[in-house]
Amino acid sequence: MQRRTARMLTAGAMALTAALTLSACGSGFSSSGGNGSGGGAAKLTSSDDPLTVLIGSSGDAETAAVKSAAAAWSKSSGTGATVQPANNLDQQLAQGFAAGKPADVFYVSTSSLAGYAANGSLLAYGDQLEDTSDFYPTLTKSFTVDDQLYCAPKDFSTLALFINTKDWKAAGLTDSDVPTTWDQLRTVSEKLTRDGRVGLTTSPQIERLGAFMTQAGGALTNGAQTKATVDSAANVEALDYVKGLLDDGSMKFSSDLGESWGGDAFGKDKAAMTIEGNWLTGAMSSSYPSVDYKVVALPKGPKGAGTLQFTNCWGIAKDSPNQKAALSFVEKMTSTDQQLAFAKAFGVMPSVESAAGTWKQEYPQYAAFLDQADAAQGLPNASGTADVIADFDSKLGSLRTTDTKTLLEGVQKNMAAALKG
Amino acid sequence: MSRKNRAEAVSGWLFTAPTIIVLGLFLAVPVVMAAWVSVSDWRGVGSPFSSDVSFVGGQNYAKILGGGGLDEQNFGTALRNNLWYVVFVVPLQTAVALGLALLVSGRALRGRGFFRTAFYFPSVTSSVAITVLWLFLFSSTGAVNKIISWAGINGPNWFNEPTGLFHLGAGTPPAFLADHTMLGISWWEWLAGPSVAMTAFILLAVFTTSGTFMLLFIAALQNLSPEVDEAAMIDGAGSWTRFWRVTLPQLRPTLFTVLTLGLIGTWQVFDQIYTGTKGAPANTTLTPAFLSYTSAFQSQQWGVGAAIAFILFGIIVVFTLLQRWALRDRPVSRRRMRWIEKGSTR
Amino acid sequence: MTSAPTPATAGGGTEPTRASRAAVPGGAVPDLGATTVTQAPGPGRRPRRLTPRSVVLLVFGVLIAVVYLLPFYVAIVNAFKTDQDASLHPLALPVTWTGAAFQTLFENSDFGIWAMNSIIVAVFVTLGRIFFDSLAGYALARLRFPGRQTVFALLIAVMAVPGVVLLIPKFLVINQLGMYDSYSGMIVPLLVDAAGVFIMKNFFESIPVSVEEQAKIDGAGTFRTFWSVVLPMARPAVVTITILSFQGSWNELAHFIVSTSSPDLTTLTKGVASLASGALSAGNQFPVKLAAAFVMTIPVAVAFFVFQKRIMNGSDGAVKE
Repeated sequence: MQRRTARMLTAGAMALTAALTLSACGSGFSSSGGNGSGGGAAKLTSSDDPLTVLIGSSGDAETAAVKSAAAAWSKSSGTGATVQPANNLDQQLAQGFAAGKPADVFYVSTSSLAGYAANGSLLAYGDQLEDTSDFYPTLTKSFTVDDQLYCAPKDFSTLALFINTKDWKAAGLTDSDVPTTWDQLRTVSEKLTRDGRVGLTTSPQIERLGAFMTQAGGALTNGAQTKATVDSAANVEALDYVKGLLDDGSMKFSSDLGESWGGDAFGKDKAAMTIEGNWLTGAMSSSYPSVDYKVVALPKGPKGAGTLQFTNCWGIAKDSPNQKAALSFVEKMTSTDQQLAFAKAFGVMPSVESAAGTWKQEYPQYAAFLDQADAAQGLPNASGTADVIADFDSKLGSLRTTDTKTLLEGVQKNMAAALKG
Repeated sequence: MSRKNRAEAVSGWLFTAPTIIVLGLFLAVPVVMAAWVSVSDWRGVGSPFSSDVSFVGGQNYAKILGGGGLDEQNFGTALRNNLWYVVFVVPLQTAVALGLALLVSGRALRGRGFFRTAFYFPSVTSSVAITVLWLFLFSSTGAVNKIISWAGINGPNWFNEPTGLFHLGAGTPPAFLADHTMLGISWWEWLAGPSVAMTAFILLAVFTTSGTFMLLFIAALQNLSPEVDEAAMIDGAGSWTRFWRVTLPQLRPTLFTVLTLGLIGTWQVFDQIYTGTKGAPANTTLTPAFLSYTSAFQSQQWGVGAAIAFILFGIIVVFTLLQRWALRDRPVSRRRMRWIEKGSTR
Repeated sequence: MTSAPTPATAGGGTEPTRASRAAVPGGAVPDLGATTVTQAPGPGRRPRRLTPRSVVLLVFGVLIAVVYLLPFYVAIVNAFKTDQDASLHPLALPVTWTGAAFQTLFENSDFGIWAMNSIIVAVFVTLGRIFFDSLAGYALARLRFPGRQTVFALLIAVMAVPGVVLLIPKFLVINQLGMYDSYSGMIVPLLVDAAGVFIMKNFFESIPVSVEEQAKIDGAGTFRTFWSVVLPMARPAVVTITILSFQGSWNELAHFIVSTSSPDLTTLTKGVASLASGALSAGNQFPVKLAAAFVMTIPVAVAFFVFQKRIMNGSDGAVKE
């Protein structure tokens, strides 16, 4: 017995020693805590290494556009740049940060900004940009944490109503029938539900249905993101309206149509209308070029016009060995000309106001996106809210069979807890 | 030690050294590291052993097991989903494996080699490939719905249907079930059974693992001495009685193995969820293993992710011990003893 | 030399203990040595007649076999259809056989890179496991050295830890060692598996000691005895380890998720999983996904059929009719 315990103890001691030795000689982790504070005139790192750019692409069009832009920048700056479309942007970024070897430049969404800023993964280079006044103020606000602008907005999109013109005509509708109120939307959807297709579809996400909430005057939180307002009467009204459409049979979620998002359902003509953002225009031209469609503003709700706004920014990693080149890369990518080129390739809107006029001139058919920019709201981006929103999304799929008030009350509880903690 | 013995000892250590190093480094040490992360507040940047990371005690565990927040809700949901998965898969796959083994071992079946191969082949394939197949087969216009439509039934949109099996067709829940919660989920939800989407995964599990366990049963059946069976036949026992009272008790060790492996495997289901639904619809295919992964790698909550992993470990140990206890060799009950004695004096 | 153990008694002669059949991540544990189906000798040879009972069993068996093989038929057949055809007629043969899905797969995705990575990893892991597992198994079975019991106990303890629990921790360790996002990070942690050591140990214990004593009398050192004398006799067990290792490493997913993130190091499992979640934009391109699943299964299937035949042929003499 004694010998066995002795052996066990030796084995345990060996394991413990091994663990401690490992922690001491950790070559994989870099103690990045000390590298220069977030703001101020911090020195940027610089090296000859090529840049790695990690993007969460919306499709082939975007990947190709970013790649060619990066190639052009490489040629003029002399530093190489490799663009990688991510399979799972959040996961790959998390692994990169934890390993101390993140990509140099990457997309950051409004929802992930808070987390990365808080754990020190991002370089707050906002004060080192040449000109931040050209960016839309609402966009820079989304990327400012503690009065520090962390990254430059790369573009933005709003939600609008896509209408299949062939189905529209087949149902006997004309331009004057374009819905501008909720009731008109309901009528039009009903008329378009025929021939085995449904009138309206969206993906079952708050990132789409939230537009109705803004039109009813509701939001998930108050402006300062200190109080949760999920179960407000306005939000209940909005979701009840959607439920009404679902019950009528004139609207179906894309998941019920067997598609992963509204864009595919729209492209395959399973629905005559869909509510989607700018990115759908790129997907339509690459995957469904034969479908004719037009884009109109979303109808006004009880409290007027409203839509959702989505934007990403170019994040630079604090652990990047070549921050100088990364900054120069971002400056190039957010320049007016480059943003107009991106807009041409995959339909997004430039984040700089100086490009607005040109954009509207070149794409009058997409004017609806830009016109709604004033009434556009973003989703909450405070720390912890992303999980609440993801959980909300998971419950929206069964909106038809759930009581709206109960559903919203549950999310309210989670949102309040997230905003508090 | 003599020269020869010392040489042998040195060889012994040398031979086992690679095994010890690899298994120690990548299996034993990680467990220690994860234990530390689960009681720390490491945020995912830099080393977990650096001076910035502090000890927070059971905070992460408290977040998951109480706390009233989203963490507790998600953990409760994941636990419920996996519990139903285990309850359905383990008995099903054991029964199917045993049935197939009996079918293939029986003397009356011709072409046993072909059948054995056919039943075992799914176990050889990768879970990723089979999940891709399953996504296609069980899509709303897929093969499965086509086949059951021949019987006049309208198949559900399998992977998008979050309703629990036991809730299909149920109305509003009674108040005493809906109002009380455990781990953030109401009792009504706990009793919902696996969702329709999870049921598709249950079928997947039975499909891919019954072949492996079938082989174990075949090997065990082959080792049975036929004399016992013949003796029972001579005593006048019908084939069903023979199976229950003679064959099955002799298969106890293999049954034990199959159940243990089944329990360990089903509590860890990850690959299929990662490839297929990633927790959707409505979080009904979320499992603790997948939740542990997403908490760490997507939500950057490494402490919570590690804590979930350890709780999962504990659950597996408990279930294995429970199963061991349930199948232990019990002394023959007096009633059975009397039956045996009565039978032997004829 | 004394007679070599016949394949029938080797590797499967002892009753399958729990330890030797622990699940290998991503794959199954076939006791292929025991797949010889023997017919129990009755009180006299009974000729096989076509009894009604055997017809019923045959029909039953065929039905179940159809259920088990149908998914693969569906996969293969739909890989050769157009997207439209696949969604509308999942069960029927293709209206027109087209290789478009395969073309998209090989041209528009990194399938070639994935396949190459899977092959590299599988080859190294299989060779590594054969070598290290048999080394350790031999040492534990035959050599006397201090701490032998401890190592054995640790081995069992390690096998008890469920694989998925190690996802996050393994990532942390791989990071700490600087092996993240490299081939070494993918291969080294998989080089030894406890179940394989167990299988080899069990097998070596069944080999008569006299063989080794003979070799020692002839002056062979420990390694020589192991390498040239004992290991060749362990062919069935080595074959089992080979199949298990190849299968396990080819089908492994979770480990590759945590040990790499660069697209150049993606393996088939990770790549096909990303395809399944719609990475090739316009979603629901089922024929492409099915084609990918089909192609990635071919090597394991081939290995399975090849080795299975070998074992079946090898144990012909042991089949009792």
